[in-house]
Amino acid sequence: MITIKNIRKTYQSGDIEVQALQDISLTIKPGEFTAIVGPSGSGKTTLLNIIGGLDSPTKGSVKINETDITQLPENELIDFRLHHIGFIFQSYNLIPVLTAKENVEFLMLLQKKNEQARNERTLKLLKAVGLEDQIHKRPNEMSGGQQQRVAVARALASKPSFILADEPTANLDSKSSENLLNIMQRLNREEKTTFIFSTHDQRVIDKANRIITIEDGKIISDTSQ
Amino acid sequence: MELKLAWRNIFRNKRRSIITISSIIFAVVFSVTMRSLQHGAYDNMLKNIVGNYLGYIQIHYNGFWEEKTIDNSFYIEDLDSLKANPTIAYINHRIEGFALASHQKESKPVVILGINPSKESEHNQIKNSLISGSFLSNKKNGILIGKGLQKIMNINIGDSLIFLSQGFQGSIASGIFPVLGIVDLKTPDLNRRTVIMNLGNAQDFFGIDNMATSAVIGPKNDEWEKAEKSILTQLDSSQFEIMNWQQMLPELKQLIDVDRAGGTFVLIILYSILTFSLFGTVLMLAEERNFEFGVLVAIGMRKSIITRIALYETLIMSVVGVILGLICVIPVVTYFHFYPINLSGQMQEVVEQFGFEAIIPTSLNPWISITQALIVFSITIFVNLYTLVKIKNIQPTKAMRS
Ligand SMILES: Nc1ncnc2c1ncn2[C@@H]1O[C@H](COP(=O)(O)OP(=O)(O)OP(=O)(O)O)[C@@H](O)[C@H]1O
Ligand SMILES: [Mg+2]
Repeated sequence: MITIKNIRKTYQSGDIEVQALQDISLTIKPGEFTAIVGPSGSGKTTLLNIIGGLDSPTKGSVKINETDITQLPENELIDFRLHHIGFIFQSYNLIPVLTAKENVEFLMLLQKKNEQARNERTLKLLKAVGLEDQIHKRPNEMSGGQQQRVAVARALASKPSFILADEPTANLDSKSSENLLNIMQRLNREEKTTFIFSTHDQRVIDKANRIITIEDGKIISDTSQ
Repeated sequence: MELKLAWRNIFRNKRRSIITISSIIFAVVFSVTMRSLQHGAYDNMLKNIVGNYLGYIQIHYNGFWEEKTIDNSFYIEDLDSLKANPTIAYINHRIEGFALASHQKESKPVVILGINPSKESEHNQIKNSLISGSFLSNKKNGILIGKGLQKIMNINIGDSLIFLSQGFQGSIASGIFPVLGIVDLKTPDLNRRTVIMNLGNAQDFFGIDNMATSAVIGPKNDEWEKAEKSILTQLDSSQFEIMNWQQMLPELKQLIDVDRAGGTFVLIILYSILTFSLFGTVLMLAEERNFEFGVLVAIGMRKSIITRIALYETLIMSVVGVILGLICVIPVVTYFHFYPINLSGQMQEVVEQFGFEAIIPTSLNPWISITQALIVFSITIFVNLYTLVKIKNIQPTKAMRS
């Protein structure tokens, strides 16, 4: 359960104050498959960063299962992300020197899981994203769609409470996008992992079961379908 | 995993790793070669003038070095206790005294050097400098004179020189000795005023039986500092003065110090070049990896782990660089130790005029390599501290936006 209360984010760029988020309150329940939509500059990335503890709000609190992450000291916040939050980035951001398998395994190593558990989960996830025959390839040997599927597997590997994905399909062609979304949807059901993603893509929006629209840093609609 | 990541990162950007490692190799090779040549030159210089002629250490009766009078002689048996000293290889007793030498109408002040020619260390040196005639023996009366003196006095082998001097405690010393051979002592000054004779002849001449003015100490393995210390504890310093070459030849010590400072200056320039070139690659690397480090922090890797990975990378590269550098330089230095560089042309003449051999053998002192390797290593680590600071200040959102 994610509870966001009265979030504000003000950026100071030079003399100008930019109100990226203005008084946002929101609750996201386990198992949701939620899209955050809105025009460019509306504050989607800012909101996701704050939920993920990558950025701190100017005001307000972000509670994840009773932990207010805005109050955590740096190392504890990093550990919190490791154990509770999965990230999928627009530009994949895999570790270039590691193979697909190693990239997926990586966070479990940081979590100090034993080898057997790591191997099982890695293979299971790579299979789930349809890359069981690519496990020894490095990121630069894979297509964008394949890399993003590795990224999905990586985000799930640590068994996080939820996954944040900022425009995960923005760099993909429509076929790969659709494929990725189907995989995410299936994993959302099978792994019971919450997904929160931002997007511009109407076909992606259609797959969500809740759509939160923001404009100028404010929520203007919140619908479930 | 941390080591694996560090290792792969090194191989990821091969070109930069090669540049980094090569500059470390270059610095090690250059600095070790230079220092070895310098120290080799000093060692050789010392061996030449100090080791043979003057000796690393001399013992005199107190005050002799200042006044150089025969009255400051000592009984040879008073130093017998030193024979058992394990830091000493040999002791050569000598007499050094002034006299007036005459031949026909010519008279010149000279230094009479009484030595024991049957001692191998003395024998070799005379033999090397002998340019005509024969050298001293224990049986025959006779002298060797410097080639400059020969010219001035216009004297030939077989002719005799008459000497007049003040002997022990005010007595009159006089004698006549035939010239056995001519020696070239390399420095013009020595050649103009040196007369070499048997220690026994000199004792008779100056009237100091069983005595000498100087004892030249040959330290074991040229470790004169060790020998000096040991002698100082053994002898009564109110009776004897124990002098090392630096005290006897302060100019030479100064020359070496100045040269060493020059070398240090060159090395500091080299170290600066190394620092800047490494810093350049470190800076580029840090900028480039900023994004990646940002991702790692975002997905849950503590900065301390990232720091450790970066440190491993640096350590691996510097250790490899330093070791490769040493592997390259040690054979070179060793080669030039056994086959020294020969100076030629003008350099050769100048150097020989000062009484040195015109060769530069490199020094094999392992401390040179160890110190230089450690200095280069520390510079590498120091430069890479920048990366660590950079990692400490990473903010994932900022880093990932770049
Ligand atoms: N670091 C920053 N400094 C200053 N202003 C910023 C910063 N990051 C974002 N902003 C501003 O905050 C507002 C919201 O930006 P944000 O990136 O969240 O929008 P977005 O909805 O993700 O847009 P897009 O669809 O283009 O990704 C914008 O006006 C942007 O210019
Ligand atoms: Mg955005």
